[in-house]
Amino acid sequence: MTDTVITDILQTIDLIEPAVGVPEAVAPVTDALRLTNVVKDFPLRRGEAFRALDRIDLTIAKGEFVALLGPSGCGKSTILRLAAGLEQPTSGTVMLGNDEPVTVARRQGLGVAFQDHALLPWATVAANVAVPFKVARRRVDHDRVADLLELVGLTEFANARPRQLSGGMKQRASIARALALEPEILLLDEPFGALDAVTRRRLNIELQNIWARDHVSTMLVTHAVEEAVFLADRVVVMSAKPGRVEEIRTIDFERPRRPELLQSPEFHHVVDELTAALDENSYVDAVELG
Amino acid sequence: MTAAATSNERAVSTAYGVAGLLAFMAIWEAGGRSGLLGASFPPISEVIEYLIDPTRRSLFERAVSATFVSAVRGFLIGAGVAVLLASIGALLPAARDGLDRFVASVHAVPLIALGPLFIVLLSRDGTPAAIASLAAFFPVYVASAAGFDDTSRTHRDVFSALGASRRIRMRLLQIPCALPSIADGLRLAAPAAVLGAILGEWFGAPRGIGILIVSSMQNFQITQLWASALLAAAISLSAFGLFGMLERFVVGRVR
Repeated sequence: MTDTVITDILQTIDLIEPAVGVPEAVAPVTDALRLTNVVKDFPLRRGEAFRALDRIDLTIAKGEFVALLGPSGCGKSTILRLAAGLEQPTSGTVMLGNDEPVTVARRQGLGVAFQDHALLPWATVAANVAVPFKVARRRVDHDRVADLLELVGLTEFANARPRQLSGGMKQRASIARALALEPEILLLDEPFGALDAVTRRRLNIELQNIWARDHVSTMLVTHAVEEAVFLADRVVVMSAKPGRVEEIRTIDFERPRRPELLQSPEFHHVVDELTAALDENSYVDAVELG
Repeated sequence: MTAAATSNERAVSTAYGVAGLLAFMAIWEAGGRSGLLGASFPPISEVIEYLIDPTRRSLFERAVSATFVSAVRGFLIGAGVAVLLASIGALLPAARDGLDRFVASVHAVPLIALGPLFIVLLSRDGTPAAIASLAAFFPVYVASAAGFDDTSRTHRDVFSALGASRRIRMRLLQIPCALPSIADGLRLAAPAAVLGAILGEWFGAPRGIGILIVSSMQNFQITQLWASALLAAAISLSAFGLFGMLERFVVGRVR
């Protein structure tokens, strides 16, 4: 029953969405990322498959910050992995500008940071931030590295090893590494997910400041509503089983956003509404399972 | 705090090791002196006395240096080829399964069966090093292959998203990641190379500890047999200990 209702709603959305999508081939591309009718199945046992994403349409404009918000298992990380070229869609297309993700990755156009910082334990913080230069076989731009370390407040720790840093500092180093080659798009998968609430909030404020500097197109995957609302231009609310886009909410708080925003009633209002939207989707889940 | 704790633990474990060794030697001494273990079991003091006797010094020196040189040559060749093949397997996934199977088959052939073959193919001088290299090859191959695979998923993801080529990934990620594992393999390979060299000498090398052992057996020189065995064990254990230190150093650098 609920399935048909959702299908109906999605078909209505489908009717509206492609109107923007179709003439795109002729017009100059202004999107940093475009997912068109993307389905992703993961094979389970013989013949069976788990549908992680069901007909996802999603765009990120150049210079836009979009947050994917949803319960665990809604496929938001899968969307990010598709955008990073780490997975291929079962059907549909994923384009970064005019190119496929793997092509963009090969020209070092992606910046990624994950929940697990993935710094190289044997290299210093500075050497870790310089890794993208080495991968690109370019001469390491030491000024750029120093600049990034300053941006994330790790100048004093340039020669420290990752294990000497706190969790928050490791994540900052990981974000500095993602920014090293001025990526066309920044993909952040729960970068602060493993941090305590206070550190997380502080890093959100820092990330907002870093982002305000050059407005790199960004996709942030998160399950923290506050984080999504504070950082993003648009918040995409997803539901699970299978992963679908439920709602896209434009967040029009003025930029640069100040920490005071976190205390304002308007902010809390939006957070509450999106939390409710998330909750509703989990309720649909419960009904489906029941 | 923790550093002190670990050095304390190390001191305790060293103390246990020394105590164990002393107890072992005491039992050996008592067993030999009482004659309970038979005529072929001389007390350890007699063996050591035999070993350090100045008149036999050149005999043992020549044997040890011959075995040592063969073991080192074999170790270098075996470990080098092992790391090379494992790297090829890591760079060319298509070759990996075949390489693994090839290595397993080589390892399945008893080294003792290869001795006569090497005598024919190589020479009497070359056989100990050849068998030593085979003995060292297997642990190093297994450890290197596992080491190159031992990267975390997010590390691989980061390198993929950065568009890293296989060679760059190998150089920046897999090799540093594999170093502790390779050092561990070398630690196991070092005594294996010593034993391989001794085994190779049995087939008729001109000199070496293996020859000493064979001739002592044939001439019923019990004390000399034990002295040779003790020497072989001492060399093996020193090699093991030396590479254990290398491994600890590498782990400290990489992790």
